[in-house]
Amino acid sequence: MSAKTDDLIQSLSADLPKVAPRAAARRVALGLSLGGAASAVLMLAWLHPRPDLAQAVMTPMFWMKFGYAAATGLILAGVLTRLAKPAARPGVLATVAVAPFAVVALMAVGRFVQTPPEAQHALLMGHSSMLCPWRILAIGAPMLAGAIWAVRGLAPTRLMLAGLVAGGCAGGLGAAIYAIACNETSAPFLAIWYTLGMMALAVTGGLASRLMRWR
Amino acid sequence: MLAGLAGEAEPYRRLLNELSGLLRGFYARRCPPGVDAEDLVQETLIAVHTRRATYDVGQPFTAWAYAIARYKLIDALRRGRAHLRAPQEEADALFAPPELRGGAEAAMAARDLERVLADLPERSRALIRDVKITGLSTREAAEKHGMTESAVKVAVHRGLKALGGKYGGSDVGED
Repeated sequence: MSAKTDDLIQSLSADLPKVAPRAAARRVALGLSLGGAASAVLMLAWLHPRPDLAQAVMTPMFWMKFGYAAATGLILAGVLTRLAKPAARPGVLATVAVAPFAVVALMAVGRFVQTPPEAQHALLMGHSSMLCPWRILAIGAPMLAGAIWAVRGLAPTRLMLAGLVAGGCAGGLGAAIYAIACNETSAPFLAIWYTLGMMALAVTGGLASRLMRWR
Repeated sequence: MLAGLAGEAEPYRRLLNELSGLLRGFYARRCPPGVDAEDLVQETLIAVHTRRATYDVGQPFTAWAYAIARYKLIDALRRGRAHLRAPQEEADALFAPPELRGGAEAAMAARDLERVLADLPERSRALIRDVKITGLSTREAAEKHGMTESAVKVAVHRGLKALGGKYGGSDVGED
């Protein structure tokens, strides 16, 4: 039996191409880029960029939406790269991932308490609150697929956690793409409905973590 | 491991050798009944090799390798022992010497074998026939086909694995 193992070792070490540095991170980046391209096409074809995009990019609110989503997504992409490796711990980066939300939540509360009661409902609900999380879920889905493809080709050993983080990452980046189509302008809306959309993708990722099993 | 990542075969071979000893110890105590610990050792070595890009420079190598070993153990428990053993064994059984089987059964097995082998590409079919049926040594087969010995081993291994995957049943669709 052991002789067979020796043969195996022999043939494994006979076939030994160099490994490029940061190969794992690059694979995650590739998966997210491919998924991101599909997400962007989906957004362009289905929802279209907001008509006033040229003016919107001059406003801080646009960048707050885009920045919140993109920052969360990028931080979680870093966490995902760690979790795609054996013996990985999420690390401090996982704690950092809640920082963008903390900033947005603080601004949302500030905005909310300064708003007269009769306008508060509109502030929270905007005009697309029932659509927003679902759209983020749909637009982030190709990214989740890309993330799962990337991670299952590496070696995750904590699949549930990796699935949740992959979903959160796809949710953040997907929401950033959605921000190009969305014309909501309130911080409370962002804090609630964008976050809900990202969490929906995180849960989806957790449910799909079986797909990350590797042999 | 660093040498392995850089493509240096000899230190890498020594590393895998040492690791296989450690893994044997690891699985000897934990291996579920009915699972061949040596299979797990081999699976883990293959995973260490094919997934070596996930090893971070500066990370303790054993922690990394044991995490893979644990994953493989959990994977084996999850699939249950039958799944783990079936493919390779069933493929091996086809090649058992005829005297171990009855006459009619042998004829049937021979027919099955031809049918099954027909699914493989020309070259691995010829190699499996030479090594597993005719009984040539790996070296003789390598000379006959103008290949290196390790290439013959890999081709035979892959051929058997493909058959196992196809006819083992339980494995199909998992991947």
